[in-house]
Amino acid sequence: MTLKRDTRERNGWTRREFLLGSAGWGIAASGSSLLASCTKRDWRADTLIARVPHYGTDIATVLLQGFRELRVQSGEIKGKRILLKPNLIEPHAGAGHINTHPEVVRAAVEAFLRLGASNVLVAEGPGHSRDSVLVLEESGLGDVLVEDHIPFLDLNYETGYAVKNLGGKTRFSTLTLPAALAQADWVVSLAKMKTHHWTGVTLSMKNLFGVMPGIYYGWPKNILHWEGIEQCIFDINATVKPHFAIVDGVVGMEGDGPIMGSPHHAGVVVMGRNLAAVDATCARIMGIDPTRVAHLKAASGRLGTIRESDIPQRGEKVASVRTDFALVDKIHAQRGLRLQ
Amino acid sequence: MKRKGSGIFPHLEALRGRELDAGGFSHRPGGEYRADATAWAVMALSATGSRKDLLENARNRLAAGQKQDGRVCISPEHPEAFWPTPLAILAWNGSPAHREARSRAVSFLQVTTGIHFEKDPEAIVTHDTSIKGWPWIAKTHSVVEPTALSLTALRMAGHGEHERAREAARMLMDRQLPAGGWNYGNTFVYGQELYPQPENTGIALDALAGSASREDVLRSLEYLESRIVRLRAPLSLGWGLLGLGAWGARPGKARNWVLESFKLQEKFGPYDTTLLSLLLLAYLAESGLGSVLEGKEPAA
Repeated sequence: MTLKRDTRERNGWTRREFLLGSAGWGIAASGSSLLASCTKRDWRADTLIARVPHYGTDIATVLLQGFRELRVQSGEIKGKRILLKPNLIEPHAGAGHINTHPEVVRAAVEAFLRLGASNVLVAEGPGHSRDSVLVLEESGLGDVLVEDHIPFLDLNYETGYAVKNLGGKTRFSTLTLPAALAQADWVVSLAKMKTHHWTGVTLSMKNLFGVMPGIYYGWPKNILHWEGIEQCIFDINATVKPHFAIVDGVVGMEGDGPIMGSPHHAGVVVMGRNLAAVDATCARIMGIDPTRVAHLKAASGRLGTIRESDIPQRGEKVASVRTDFALVDKIHAQRGLRLQ
Repeated sequence: MKRKGSGIFPHLEALRGRELDAGGFSHRPGGEYRADATAWAVMALSATGSRKDLLENARNRLAAGQKQDGRVCISPEHPEAFWPTPLAILAWNGSPAHREARSRAVSFLQVTTGIHFEKDPEAIVTHDTSIKGWPWIAKTHSVVEPTALSLTALRMAGHGEHERAREAARMLMDRQLPAGGWNYGNTFVYGQELYPQPENTGIALDALAGSASREDVLRSLEYLESRIVRLRAPLSLGWGLLGLGAWGARPGKARNWVLESFKLQEKFGPYDTTLLSLLLLAYLAESGLGSVLEGKEPAA
């Protein structure tokens, strides 16, 4: 049985159920829900760096090896519903370095299904575009999803449920999260390795902005900016408590990210359970000091660790894959970030 | 008309199938009531000549959810998310029974804006932050789409010459990208001109028809005319056609493209109620959204 066939049979979705709706995802959560399963913080900071020279690599196998290295057991995944949250900020044909690459999404779906997940859903609320079909078509992800019968949900339009803001860095007493999050057993941030003109870098923690539904937070999610981007990153991560991060650093973005920067080939995928540790490792790979990135510094000690000595590094060493991403001096958030 | 429109009948039926027993429409089949979905469905069904009782029930449901100050929100728990208000105004147009509800919604828009402040010549973003429009969510900066929708709603309600409507047109012109087109509402950040998006461009062009000269928006028309040829994504195509139509530039193949977009549901699954409605309106409206909505009021 090929992996692709395996994917289809285990997903069991038909084309009619495929996209743009909540069909295919369990109507009501059974067993452990996201919030119930997240009452205990998981600070296992082990982070794996895998070399992935290009998108033609067998990335699913790389991820499965990574899961083994990180001791992600099939018992943790078997029968579980996995929500993969890629970075699909806005569409531009031919500008693949803006969004998480479709082959990384495909590989992550395959890897979780191979570990026994009952459902894998790709879900995103694009920050700059209300047209998710356009985003899917122009990013190339739509074809991959159709080909592998992977369901997609536009989180911007999802009916939300209010939960207590567990971060406390903003004035929000509650956050309104999409219903799909409550039905997921695992939330995985499937981010892109990029510099960012407001936050220095955008990696797995910043990527979670996209779970906030546009119908309550707008397009772009302007109210989060007004409350303070760094504070919101903290609050969203503290409240959602994602289970895992996979960062697509095969070709990332340097300079004036997250949209207008240039492609930068780093040739890596970085993964781990603790998003702060994963992002700190990514930053070091990019030649950026994570202790100077405000939202990573804020996360350190509260949502995880960013200290290099506290992060058991698996796979490649940072020094062996470090490739400095260009920083723009006139961009305030990028000044002084270079790792010495 | 009937022969010409036969291709849209299944989609019209699909839209009617989203009607809820208690009035109003769900966002998706089997879903709960949503104000935005209801307003869009009323506009589309009204344009296609649907039963008056169905339309009035839906309009009543919208009115039942209206707040005292006139706003219509995405949910009662989120009064700050008042962006469906202009949609409700458009849905109430042509219904004498909802004149009072519409009037309160218009008053709400006229006294409501986003966060605005004096333009700083040294600022990282270069648009004029002082020109008022409307935001998606209270206490945030005004952006293109809610401003364009509100301008259209005010004009349809007979308030196109109101000071806020004129200022909204000015704001949209200020947010137009020099190379043509609009995005969500930023033009330059750190010296780089941002990319346009077809959906934002279509909605801005539709709103500006009658408030700007062709020369003022020529580059945006050119951008959209070249972009729309390859567009079949429903939101972008729908607004793109309405925007071009409002300026007499509707492509000859518009209806074929709409039908091709409907067909994409075989690939992507059923569209939500907003997308079904928008495509139906784009199919019918030769000259922009206002050309198929009922009850445009004379200027106040």
